[in-house]
Amino acid sequence: MKTAIDGKIIASTFMISLILAFLVLNGMVSDWGRLTGGFGNLKNFFYQSLWPPDWSVLEPQVYPVCTARYPFEFTCSTAWIGVIETIKIAFVATVFGMALSLPLSLAAARNLSPRWLSYSSRFILSAFRSLPSLIWAIFFVILIGMGPLSGVLAMTVYTVGYLGKLWYEAMEGLNKTPLEAAQAMGLNKYETALNVVVPESANDLISHSIFLFEYNFRSGTIIGIVGAGGIGYYIDLYLRFLQYDKVVAYLLIIFLVVLIIDFLSIYARSFFNEEDDLRIPSWSEVFLGIFSSANEADDLSDR
Amino acid sequence: MQTDADLNEPLLILRDVAIGYHPSDSLVNIPNLEVFPGEIVAIAGPSGIGKSTLLRTIAGLVSPITGRLEVCGAIMPEKPPRGHLGYIPQKLGLVRHASVKHNVELGARAGIKSRKLRQQRSIEAIDIMGLSEKSAEPIRRLSGGQQRRVATARTLAQRPKLILADEFLSELDEETLTSVLEAVTDYVRESKAALIVVEHDISRAKMMADKLLVIDDGRINPFVKGTKAMEVNM
Ligand SMILES: Nc1ncnc2c1ncn2[C@@H]1O[C@H](COP(=O)(O)OP(=O)(O)O)[C@@H](O)[C@H]1O
Ligand SMILES: [Mg+2]
Repeated sequence: MKTAIDGKIIASTFMISLILAFLVLNGMVSDWGRLTGGFGNLKNFFYQSLWPPDWSVLEPQVYPVCTARYPFEFTCSTAWIGVIETIKIAFVATVFGMALSLPLSLAAARNLSPRWLSYSSRFILSAFRSLPSLIWAIFFVILIGMGPLSGVLAMTVYTVGYLGKLWYEAMEGLNKTPLEAAQAMGLNKYETALNVVVPESANDLISHSIFLFEYNFRSGTIIGIVGAGGIGYYIDLYLRFLQYDKVVAYLLIIFLVVLIIDFLSIYARSFFNEEDDLRIPSWSEVFLGIFSSANEADDLSDR
Repeated sequence: MQTDADLNEPLLILRDVAIGYHPSDSLVNIPNLEVFPGEIVAIAGPSGIGKSTLLRTIAGLVSPITGRLEVCGAIMPEKPPRGHLGYIPQKLGLVRHASVKHNVELGARAGIKSRKLRQQRSIEAIDIMGLSEKSAEPIRRLSGGQQRRVATARTLAQRPKLILADEFLSELDEETLTSVLEAVTDYVRESKAALIVVEHDISRAKMMADKLLVIDDGRINPFVKGTKAMEVNM
């Protein structure tokens, strides 16, 4: 930071950006009238095709015959099967992505690595990140065929690109004194990474990983569409048959799972709270936290 | 471990060293300084003059602008002596999210191969600093004074030949201060190590040190030799 942060500068920069954004948008839009028509269309579409959601997606499929007993028949439904497969793909991809991101982010952090190494690692990370996971999925489907493995590989590559960046930024934000103390005491890079960098940035590393897991779960809906497995397969199927009410049911289920992952994220991060780290928040506090900002959630859990 | 010949070799040599962060703008010039085993040297001077920078240079974290710097016979900063240099930075440099034990063991990490021995040394050092009960606590839950004692324990567990301590006695109450100071000076005298300590409190500096270096206006005044430091004009 070259200069101290000044509230006035932040506020005016933000206002100027906002005005600029409106001007740019106005330049791109030729007819604002379409917006009002759009609302009408949306209303018709919503009541005719989307609402109410068709919850039959939670009923067991006709084939294969469901062997689960009451009240677990829903585990034979397309929604359940799809969600579980997407969660599995997202989990495997996130864990593999974490394993690959660790060395790459350590190498990319400018405070930990020489310049040449940092630049080349950043190059790899941004190459991985520059294509969305959908494109990686198409690539792997072409390469090794349809199925969950393509999904896992696509998500892993994208996870490395994204998580690696978040992680090296967290590492670069570390206070330099512990690193200097380690260097002076004669610890090598490997010992310093394991014993200083990782524990000191664990809070960020974990919350970014959970964020990437949630991101991967959401993008699982998209990459399923190109045949890379998961709930996206069913969404694609019903989109083709124009059964939008079933699609809406799937989307609501996805929303629910994302909320649950958010719960888990705040819960996991609460173990690393600065103020009082052993205080585990109650579920209601966590739930309130989702609708306020992450910082406010931390405040809540401190009470 | 150390032979008699070693004891006559200085642990630290500075010759015509200029330190600072910009080549054109040196903070302190040190014509000649040698520190021998068993010696305690205090550095005093007004704040912002470059005391911490001097320690960071000796620790190999900042390159000297000019001159020759040797620590334990190794040329700095190219070839730092792995594990022989203990450093207690002014801001301590503890891993805040990790436990007291983890932090103290870090000190022993570079110099001691056996994991068992590292743990044993750490337990001893934590005990000497009176932190046994806090051993499993994360650093951020300790008071400022307790954190200083952790940083000191980290250095004691390391058993270095040369200790650099940057105002490590501040924030300690009188009683703790005496015991911490005693532990460190005992270690230095017994192991024939050397201690270089930045101490803004001149009377305290004189009490503990054999030599007192006063940095004044960018130069180190000719220091005073003797068993106890004598009057130094500022
Ligand atoms: N990393 C740095 N880069 C550039 N200048 C620095 C840096 N750290 C300290 N300084 C400057 O160097 C001078 C000496 O600082 P320092 O050695 O911390 O003084 P002291 O410990 O004697 O109070 C100060 O003017 C300070 O602003
Ligand atoms: Mg200082």
